[in-house]
Amino acid sequence: MNAAPSSVSEMQEAICRHARYSLGKAWADLSSYERFAAVALAARDRMVDAMLATEERYGQADPKRLYYLSIEFLIGQSLGNNLRNLGLRESCRQALARLGADLEEIERSEPDAALGNGGLGRLAACFLDSLATLGMPGYGYGINYEYGLFKQEIDDGYQREKPDNWLAQSSPWEIARPDEACLVPVYGRIEHDVDRHGVYNPMWMDWKLLVGVPHDMLVPGYGGRAVHFLRLYSARSSLDFDMQIFNDGDYFKAVEQKIASETVSKVLYPSDAVIGGHELRLLQEYFLVACALRDIVRRFERNHSTFREFSAKTAIQLNDTHPALAVAELMRILVDEKELAWAEAWEITQATLAYTNHTLAPEALEKWPVPLLERTLPRHMEVIYEINRRFLQQVSVAFPGETSRLNRMSLVEESLPKQVRMVNLAIVGSHSVNGVSAIHTGLLETALVPDFHQLWPERFNNKTNGITQRRWLLEANPALGDLITSTIGDAWITDLDQLRGLDRCSGDAGFQSAFQKIKRANKEKLAGILWHSSRVKADPDSLFDIQAKRIHAYKRQLLNVLHVVDDYLALVEDGKPPAAPRTYVFAGKAAPGYRRAKQIIKLIHSVARVINGDPRAKDWIRVAFLADYRVSLAEAILPAADLSEQISTAGTEASGTSSMKLALNGAVTIGTLDGANVEILEQVGPENMFIFGLQAAELRAMRDAGSYQPRELYDQDAGVRRLVDSFASRRFCPDEPGLFTWACQTVLDSGDRHFHLADLPTYLEAHEKAAAAFNDRGRWTGMAIRNVARIGRFSSDRTVKDYAREIWDLKSV
Amino acid sequence: MEIPVEKTDSVTIAVIPVDELDASNAGEFKRDIAPVLDSDTRVVMDFSHLRFIDSSGLGAVLSCLRQLSAKGGDLKLCGMSKQVRSTFELVRMHRVFDIFPTREEAVRAFSG
Repeated sequence: MNAAPSSVSEMQEAICRHARYSLGKAWADLSSYERFAAVALAARDRMVDAMLATEERYGQADPKRLYYLSIEFLIGQSLGNNLRNLGLRESCRQALARLGADLEEIERSEPDAALGNGGLGRLAACFLDSLATLGMPGYGYGINYEYGLFKQEIDDGYQREKPDNWLAQSSPWEIARPDEACLVPVYGRIEHDVDRHGVYNPMWMDWKLLVGVPHDMLVPGYGGRAVHFLRLYSARSSLDFDMQIFNDGDYFKAVEQKIASETVSKVLYPSDAVIGGHELRLLQEYFLVACALRDIVRRFERNHSTFREFSAKTAIQLNDTHPALAVAELMRILVDEKELAWAEAWEITQATLAYTNHTLAPEALEKWPVPLLERTLPRHMEVIYEINRRFLQQVSVAFPGETSRLNRMSLVEESLPKQVRMVNLAIVGSHSVNGVSAIHTGLLETALVPDFHQLWPERFNNKTNGITQRRWLLEANPALGDLITSTIGDAWITDLDQLRGLDRCSGDAGFQSAFQKIKRANKEKLAGILWHSSRVKADPDSLFDIQAKRIHAYKRQLLNVLHVVDDYLALVEDGKPPAAPRTYVFAGKAAPGYRRAKQIIKLIHSVARVINGDPRAKDWIRVAFLADYRVSLAEAILPAADLSEQISTAGTEASGTSSMKLALNGAVTIGTLDGANVEILEQVGPENMFIFGLQAAELRAMRDAGSYQPRELYDQDAGVRRLVDSFASRRFCPDEPGLFTWACQTVLDSGDRHFHLADLPTYLEAHEKAAAAFNDRGRWTGMAIRNVARIGRFSSDRTVKDYAREIWDLKSV
Repeated sequence: MEIPVEKTDSVTIAVIPVDELDASNAGEFKRDIAPVLDSDTRVVMDFSHLRFIDSSGLGAVLSCLRQLSAKGGDLKLCGMSKQVRSTFELVRMHRVFDIFPTREEAVRAFSG
């Protein structure tokens, strides 16, 4: 049975029934959140029907299943997306109209499920949408954080973090399944003994117990044919099993223990925070892995009696190294619990697991101190030592006498204290290692882990990231979606390559006019948001120049600010206005402990305050920072962009996906040859992008030779000097002299790892060209349309199909 | 806790009378099973009431085995629920005990 669209009357009846019987109120008495909950529950009913039907169908086919383990799933709001995918949107809109309510308004009442930091978590969410749409049995496994990523507020230009208690009102999407809870032992010690047959038998003693309670969020594919689930685990104390301790023992001690256990799923760690050594984070990672594998093994054992079939029926993808303990946990299950021989267990583990790398910065790679692992997961540490012993024997045979290579490849770094390298563990325990863009995979193989690539070249492959067009075009930009559908039909919704059909319309006056109207309407909407949130009055006819992503040194928001200030100084000191009026929009969060990123936010605000307050700049330059960047805000910002800033230092961005979302919504990219930009360029063509900057190899050569001399650039170029000096002056910090001296020091430092001044001249030049193109309305619109038409390759449907064919051996059912 | 004890031939059967054996009652269990361990060498523990066991409970049961082994006896377990059995497996303790589905099979194993 499929989730067939319900009639308007049925939808209205279901909404009112949930208002009355699930929420205990008459429709008229519901708060806006409760109205959202009633509609969500009505939609969920349909999803449950379809999910059960999907599971029945899959159960009969007994297909191979894919489990995507990720410490983050950045879902955002679900109502709009779910209704569209189920084909219920129109009936729901009409049902609500009969009840005197507006669907869009209700959709806005849904809090974002911000269970992620950025790209990695959003990728996971896009993959789930694609898997369900493609009818490929694939499921997400994650943590049901009580507090998602912090809410960002701005106070006098400074970021302030506020807790995001998204579950405060309980999510109507989640189905708790306490009957499928699993037990997770942690801490304790190993007792070295022998078994009944006199064989060595290390026993895990004196552990503490966590309980993982699954909560399923249903994931409907487009068309509603398949509905999958994302299984998120909440940590509960084992004391829930054992109320006797409460009754007989030390009540307060028991309560403290209970709270301590439940903190494991309390909060999502912000990325870029220094989390190595944080015991709670390690427990989170193990908790995810242990719950997921327990559930996966249980599902497998329902229909299969021998683990020889495990890898033929199960694929597990590790989204970065956070779930890399799966290598040790699966080995522990197979060897300790299922009593398989080590070699057989190892073969199954490797054949089942695959690993996606997401980072190129060596200092950002996860490592865990051995003493911490020995204390928290003593049995796993033993398993890791044994994996390492056998692995290093293999390396010794492959590279005899190469001690330094052995040291580099060892799972255990011989530092003080010793540390387990999670990347090495993930690579050794997986049959596939992939990067997320072509350039990233190349650097992974040649610069990050070349020893492993030399040992197992066949294990490495590239899977360029993608985004789901259902969320990022159909849902985020419905007017453009409608225009596209009326022009080339709706096949693009499930086959994004169909957008190629728009290429022929890129010069068509009628299509251009319709396209421009939609873009302008989106810009007007964003201008309204800018006014309400930042009191910045943006002209919708100006060039909307947008950089929306995490604030990070390598993403170079500072380079963008250099351009903003250069434009401003040219205007006020040289009397030379920019070629086109511009509205610069920044959005993004800085990790709470990342001082430089927070300084950048302050700098953006201070520059914005001066420029926006200067009457000379009024008609030419506006600068805005939109606080609390999240999925739902991205859905409002991205469709309004003219120019997409993708300006990371070449060789630092693994892929980046905002570039894809922006191009899909008709923005033209200004960017470096980094991450997915390289492949977007191949598709979109150099005539439709503004590429600038030094390439990764050139920067690496400069870095290796120590030949970067930004001060020479500064000394030789008066424009650069004026620009850099403006940050040392009081211009942007009249009340706090010296506040932005760090910016001068950063860009003038020969150790500037992000080569701001090296790329500045070509960046400014690229902006000149962009402004000139923007002033030619027909040319610009043609470029924007060609960006939409040629971005089809970057659908997550394509990415998932690549994974399914080349890594998972997963088929549509 | 009152541990019901039954004797058949040369085997003593002790029925674990609680549904949870954990930090709250493991000490009490050790104290109350001690007379059985002192007087007998061939013991079967019937776990059929047990729903949950933690590391303290496992430690207590293991110490029973060690006491009996030390004087040439043995401890066999029976009647485990799936959940309790999986906890034994989780920490490899299923390998040090003889575990049987039923009481009869456990008793019979002593004569085998």
